[in-house]
Amino acid sequence: MSDELDRIRREMHAVLQPPGVRPDDSLQITRRTFIHRSLLFGAASVGQTFAWWPLLNTIDVAHAAEAPFKFAWISDTHLYERSLNTRFVDKVVRAVQEVQAMDPPADFLIFGGDLAQLGKIEELELGVELLKDLKIKKYYIPGEHDWYLDMGKKWGELFGQPNWTFDHKGVRFIGLDTVSRGPDYWTAKKMTPEERMGHMATLDGTVAGAWAGVGREQLDWMQKTLADWDKSKPIVIFSHNPLYEYYPPWNFWVRDWREVNDVLKPYTKVTNIHGHVHQVLYNEIGSMRSIGMLATSWPWPYAPEGVPKLTKPMIRVDPGDPFDGVGWETVSVNADDKVDVEYIMWGRKEVFVQSPEDHDKSIEEVIRPRVADNQYPWANP
Amino acid sequence: MINTSTFLCILTRSTIAGAVVAASVVIGPASANKDPVTPKQLKLYQEAFMEEVRKGDLLFHGDAAMAEQLGVKLSTTGWACAMCHPMASDTHPQAFPKFQQSMAKFATLRDMINWCIEKPNQGEKIDPESEAMKALEAYITWSNTGSVLVPGKY
Ligand SMILES: [Fe+2]
Ligand SMILES: [Fe+2]
Repeated sequence: MSDELDRIRREMHAVLQPPGVRPDDSLQITRRTFIHRSLLFGAASVGQTFAWWPLLNTIDVAHAAEAPFKFAWISDTHLYERSLNTRFVDKVVRAVQEVQAMDPPADFLIFGGDLAQLGKIEELELGVELLKDLKIKKYYIPGEHDWYLDMGKKWGELFGQPNWTFDHKGVRFIGLDTVSRGPDYWTAKKMTPEERMGHMATLDGTVAGAWAGVGREQLDWMQKTLADWDKSKPIVIFSHNPLYEYYPPWNFWVRDWREVNDVLKPYTKVTNIHGHVHQVLYNEIGSMRSIGMLATSWPWPYAPEGVPKLTKPMIRVDPGDPFDGVGWETVSVNADDKVDVEYIMWGRKEVFVQSPEDHDKSIEEVIRPRVADNQYPWANP
Repeated sequence: MINTSTFLCILTRSTIAGAVVAASVVIGPASANKDPVTPKQLKLYQEAFMEEVRKGDLLFHGDAAMAEQLGVKLSTTGWACAMCHPMASDTHPQAFPKFQQSMAKFATLRDMINWCIEKPNQGEKIDPESEAMKALEAYITWSNTGSVLVPGKY
């Protein structure tokens, strides 16, 4: 781990996880979760880690819901125009059909961002068209791929305000916009909208910089939104990016995670569900738990460093099968007041690694950022 | 550890000494590679390498202009190598050659590159000796600088 990242990681844990701070015990960590108490403090060897993992693929989070319900999550469809790529279309169609077939039906769908690949009107409209077959109520948050061609104009026309809140059966839900506040990397370099979008759409690019963030005014809005909410009642926050620091070079974070934590600190039952990482991910940060969701389009590999120790990694995928390593999720609140997050990964019975060789990091690697960004015209002098 | 590096150090020095002796008896442009290396040469070699890395980086990230310049069509789906392999992660050049399950054969990195071009990307596979292939190989291996060789590892 680089010194800088190591420093930041230590700081994050010092800020967010002073001794004794964890998600509320009433969240009832059980054998069915990915959590093992002994792992919360200190590292475990690969051998130890693989030894205790249960084989079930759900997360239980108990809370005081008024009535049982389910909802579904789809994100990161990364649609191109239909004429260019039909595989991504096929996968959205499949996810939509499966969500529509849920029995009992889902109360609503959360779409977690990156509907389009290059932010084009045609791509966003194709997404709307495909999701139209899903008759339940839908809520959308934006991803960076939706935004940086026209700075969210079309997205806003289609879906309205990017951040929102609603209460449902005893749970307060909040949708955040973590993508629209990127630093201006385009004006000084006189980029066309397509060039701006191109850099934003390159996960391992360096030109767009640390674009993921919540922003002061949205933090204030979130604080106001939660002011009347009982501190011990459940909150579920949806964001495109994870609300902690996992791997900044790929914006697997929000840069203002400290401020997010300040707002959420008083609340004891906070669950963050996020997209962007295209992979199974689990972490506990302060009193919040955070769950990463699959894409329908393609899986990202785990970052070379910073994967939370509490994550039970997803299985290494078969690159020859477009339906492997991707899918969608159900989140159900059952009669025992528990929330199950279940990954529906197409083409797999086992979502999680079963042995070290199943992990995409079973071959150790040392990698570095790309070189082309450092050259004219994108490089800083 | 100390013994090994000391031994390597001695070995390196004697090799350099040998090369100097050899260069001092053979003179002329035909045997320029027997001359002691100069900083200028090193810079040129490095630049030649990095130029291929740069081209490979652009190809790997789906740059249309570079693909056209090198006469290749690496994808017809919009997909680029870097979309599954940011920073060339999970390309594992250090593990090749190896038995590759997806191809059901003993494969080199170049075989794997062509497989990815043909299957997920649905592009046109490229000549293993082409500049495009060498550039991709240069970018992938450069990106994995520091990774430890584990040939054959799954
Ligand atoms: Fe995405
Ligand atoms: Fe994203």
